[in-house]
Amino acid sequence: MAYRKLLRMKKYLTFIMLLTTFARLSAQQKQLPLDDRGKYIYYEVVEVKAINKDSLLKRAADFIHQDYKKSMNLESSTDTSILAKGTLVIDKTLLVAGHPSGEVKYNFTVEFRSEKYRFWLTDFEYIPYQRDRYGNFVASTNIGTPLEKTPSKLNAGQWKDILGGVSVKATKFGEDFKKFLASSRIETAKKKAETISTKKW
Amino acid sequence: MKKLLTAIFAIASTTCALAQETPTSPLEISGSVDTYFKYDFAKKPNNILTSFASDHNSVSLGMIDLALKKKTGKASFVGELSFGPRGQSQSIPDAANGGSSFHIQNLYINYDFSDKFAMTAGYMGTFIGYEVISPVGNFNYSTSYLFTNGPFQNAGIKATYKFSDKVSLMAGLFNDWNVYSATRGVSSVGGQLMIAPVEGWTAYLNVLSGAGGGGYGTIEDLTTAYQITEKFKLGLNAANYDIDNDGGGYAGVALYPQYAVGSAVTLGLRGEYFKTKDVGPVTGTKYTAVTLTANVKSGGLTFIPEVRLDHNGDKPFFNKNSLSAPNAGQFSLAAVYAF
Repeated sequence: MAYRKLLRMKKYLTFIMLLTTFARLSAQQKQLPLDDRGKYIYYEVVEVKAINKDSLLKRAADFIHQDYKKSMNLESSTDTSILAKGTLVIDKTLLVAGHPSGEVKYNFTVEFRSEKYRFWLTDFEYIPYQRDRYGNFVASTNIGTPLEKTPSKLNAGQWKDILGGVSVKATKFGEDFKKFLASSRIETAKKKAETISTKKW
Repeated sequence: MKKLLTAIFAIASTTCALAQETPTSPLEISGSVDTYFKYDFAKKPNNILTSFASDHNSVSLGMIDLALKKKTGKASFVGELSFGPRGQSQSIPDAANGGSSFHIQNLYINYDFSDKFAMTAGYMGTFIGYEVISPVGNFNYSTSYLFTNGPFQNAGIKATYKFSDKVSLMAGLFNDWNVYSATRGVSSVGGQLMIAPVEGWTAYLNVLSGAGGGGYGTIEDLTTAYQITEKFKLGLNAANYDIDNDGGGYAGVALYPQYAVGSAVTLGLRGEYFKTKDVGPVTGTKYTAVTLTANVKSGGLTFIPEVRLDHNGDKPFFNKNSLSAPNAGQFSLAAVYAF
């Protein structure tokens, strides 16, 4: 009986260890490259043949005001560029669930030319979260730490995870931005949802 | 153990399944574990009668704290349970039941009617005061007299309106302090004005009036913290509690300067003045306390070495010979892991 219990316990432990290893491997994401100032940067140049510059500029502004309105603020814009500030929330994963562990502030720039545009996120600053008295995760300070700052030996592992998390979130942001600029939201909004008629068959 | 694991995996699987169908946040799991060693200079347990870390010359347990949170659309819940002396026998609601169960830290439901207006109902950490039960929420491991004598939690219903990022107002109806269900009805009214005059500085002006510790009374409280520079933070808590019909109460102030000496090490001081008020012919008593604390962080782990010295001219403490003494002191080393 005790042997069976031991075997069952062993199975659970193996399962937990496998999940933990998987979670750990998933967390080991690649880091962002550095720019010529020595700052981490997410940078992309995108070719667009069919959309004119003015439409792209409007769509970029809409992206900030609609899709990312809770986490981005438009700072300035010209005929060919937009500057904005934003925040990415970094998560800590525990097996299959987790919680926010901090946020990263960044500067966003997008510039347009004929049939192409480029955008980048840089000047990342990390602010750790702490759990408040109501069980919610909130910023523990208002002063961010630049991601380029070398962490102490005690926190090197955690910092590496944060850098990996920023890379994942910046890449996701980049994908969202490109997708938004490639599609016309007005057309999508006008298009009615398909309905199925059961009257004729 | 098996049941607990099965339940966690079942909840997590449901979350993953639901996430594919409705816009919902994933289930958040977080918590903490803490343990400590304390040495009282007079070799007496419970010599300084503030909350938690009461043992002497013992490697002792704090608590394990487990919190779940989930948001679906505009509705969210938080459920937080703790097990261990800090969360059971040393926490007020469970102590009343013999300390043999567990302590609910938070159990509430929130609904965001808009970006500015939200309502919350259930059992919540109190909005009064600077310190909290969870060791993760405090810089010092030992607690202040203001914390020990104030409410720990309030069950009730509250509405919060956010005028801007700099101003918000909360008003609510609450049960008496630290009870899961009211013993004197929904007997308290409370409010909180939050103002953030400059970036990094937040102040909470709180009031709670109704059934509380010792009878019906009113507590006014100011809790504020200002991150003045990257390295220096200053916190302040001041409170006044009057119990009706000369039933006593307390008043006090505590200052919390903290300075980061490195990216992993922060030093902090807590200086507190606290007095209990006269109850009829019985005169109140005055405490002063100074606590020097360091936080050494490595990932989720925080080591907290601490030295504390308390003084009271009425000699409520004990010395090594078990005689009453005006001074008491202690050293403690705590390890707190947050996940």
